Amino acid sequence: MIYRDAGQFKTSYAADQAIFPIRQDRILLAIGLLIAFILIPSLASEYWLNTIMIPFLVFSLAALGLNILTGYAGQLSLGTGAFMACGAFAAYKLTTAFPDLNIILVFLGAGLCAAGVGIIFGIPSLRIKGFYLAVATLAAQFFLIWMFNKFPWFTNYSASGVISAPPRAIIGDVIVTGSSAVPYVKYLFVLSFVLVLTLLAKNLVRSNIGREWMAVRDMDIAAEIIGIRMLSTKLKAFAISSFYCGVAGALWAFCYTGSVEALAFDINRSFQVLFMIIIGGLGSILGSFMGAAFIVLLPIFLSNAPTMLGLSISVELISHLEFMIFGALIIFFLIVEPHGFARLWQITKEKLRLWPFPY
Amino acid sequence: MRFKHLSLAALGVVLTASGFYASSAIAQDEQFVPLLVYRSGPYAPSGIPLADGQSDYYKLVNARDGGVNGVTITTEECDTAYNNDRGVECYERLKANGPTGASVFMPFSTGITYALIERATQDKIPIHSMGYGRTDASDGRVFPYVFTLPATYWSQASVFIKYIGEKEGGMDKLKGKKIALVYHDSAYGKEPIKTLQTLADTYGYNLSLFPVPHPGLEQKPPGSRLAGSCARIGC
Repeated sequence: MIYRDAGQFKTSYAADQAIFPIRQDRILLAIGLLIAFILIPSLASEYWLNTIMIPFLVFSLAALGLNILTGYAGQLSLGTGAFMACGAFAAYKLTTAFPDLNIILVFLGAGLCAAGVGIIFGIPSLRIKGFYLAVATLAAQFFLIWMFNKFPWFTNYSASGVISAPPRAIIGDVIVTGSSAVPYVKYLFVLSFVLVLTLLAKNLVRSNIGREWMAVRDMDIAAEIIGIRMLSTKLKAFAISSFYCGVAGALWAFCYTGSVEALAFDINRSFQVLFMIIIGGLGSILGSFMGAAFIVLLPIFLSNAPTMLGLSISVELISHLEFMIFGALIIFFLIVEPHGFARLWQITKEKLRLWPFPY
Repeated sequence: MRFKHLSLAALGVVLTASGFYASSAIAQDEQFVPLLVYRSGPYAPSGIPLADGQSDYYKLVNARDGGVNGVTITTEECDTAYNNDRGVECYERLKANGPTGASVFMPFSTGITYALIERATQDKIPIHSMGYGRTDASDGRVFPYVFTLPATYWSQASVFIKYIGEKEGGMDKLKGKKIALVYHDSAYGKEPIKTLQTLADTYGYNLSLFPVPHPGLEQKPPGSRLAGSCARIGC
């Protein structure tokens, strides 16, 4: 009923091809942006911004990157953590070598470095597919983390092997990285970065590049026969996906933790991002955000819930309850809708548009 | 009988008075100590007794001495599962609790300590990393809010060498001896190397280093590598 789009006529090609063709969606988006840009920074506490919103946004970006590769181009990857590490360490090397370079350019440069590494590790994808490709990307995961751990050049010969994000300003003296930055400034910076890259990704998957990816995903032989070049299509997917993961890694190190060691991007990080896109929805931009919200926010909510409800439960019981409820919910949602939250939302929307006679 | 009643009444008065005293003391002087514990996760077997001991000790200090110089200590636990992300989340959750905010953080994990140093310095909350964390944080001019007493990775390394020297019958006997460090190949595993190298220059022993990679980082089983390296130096 609220989603009835009767009377919304499209009178131009531009209107017909809009990202959000239904007016209700556009209103919802405007409200969402208003909340994200004005309400949250003005009302949320430091705890909320620093430990809930910023990691959620960073993980959304990483999930978006992996979704481009796995969800749209159909290339299973377990190297997300390594590509994030590439971005983090490249950003660190860039900003310590060129302290005057604007932090936005540093992050984009870090993304480009990660993209280059992604292309190298994407080359085997031309010959191997499916689970075998997953194992090949696993090699990237192990090799890169080992490399960052092994060669002190990457950490500027820091004795401890940890990189600390130096404070960098975006314009004037508005510092957005490191721990001296004001939480809401950091949040707005990360939010803007993620939103711009999301908009780019959305348009990319609607363009001919995105259609090529989906053709390769659905049936690579058929795609090749209709004239899609396998090598360039797959490598483009690897490059762009790694770019997104690299920027996410740089944001993680510079805006979230402030200091990071290579082990923070180990194989568990890759699995975490992979679970996000499986639960959120493969091949969906919105799904990346929903999956990140589920995996990042739900455990924090579950561990805070007993205190919010005023129950005094011992912390180990809270931790174990959190594991049990979280695991049960993953199984529940995968049984209810194997295609993830994005598909669940899509079905709900379809039914609401036909209200009161959905079928 | 009368005496018993009297003494009971006296006891009651004392108890009530001390109760009043205690409650007024809580209102006036109370320090909040957040406890970052790891009661779940892969390291829980060592984390549970540690966490129990900590909270028991604060209870003891409050019950026996009425706190420290009349200042009672309130605590709240937060489970980090020895995971750096959760440790940071716990820090942010607990740092503003209590009437005065957190007085000190003891992360009980070198990884979490690394992640918290910058934040805590910014928030002006002391971090007490006893025997772990960054040894170079002992220099208060560089890290004004990090304290490493009573021991550090460096002091522990020099204690090892001193002990070996005593066993051998004097530090001069160390000359030409072979000493090997088998260490976790990570930021904190590498901490003692510099100390051992400096002491090697002083006492003239030969230092061999055997990194053991973190599980999953290298495909070789560490045992076979160690055996091979050990055969090379002859131990």
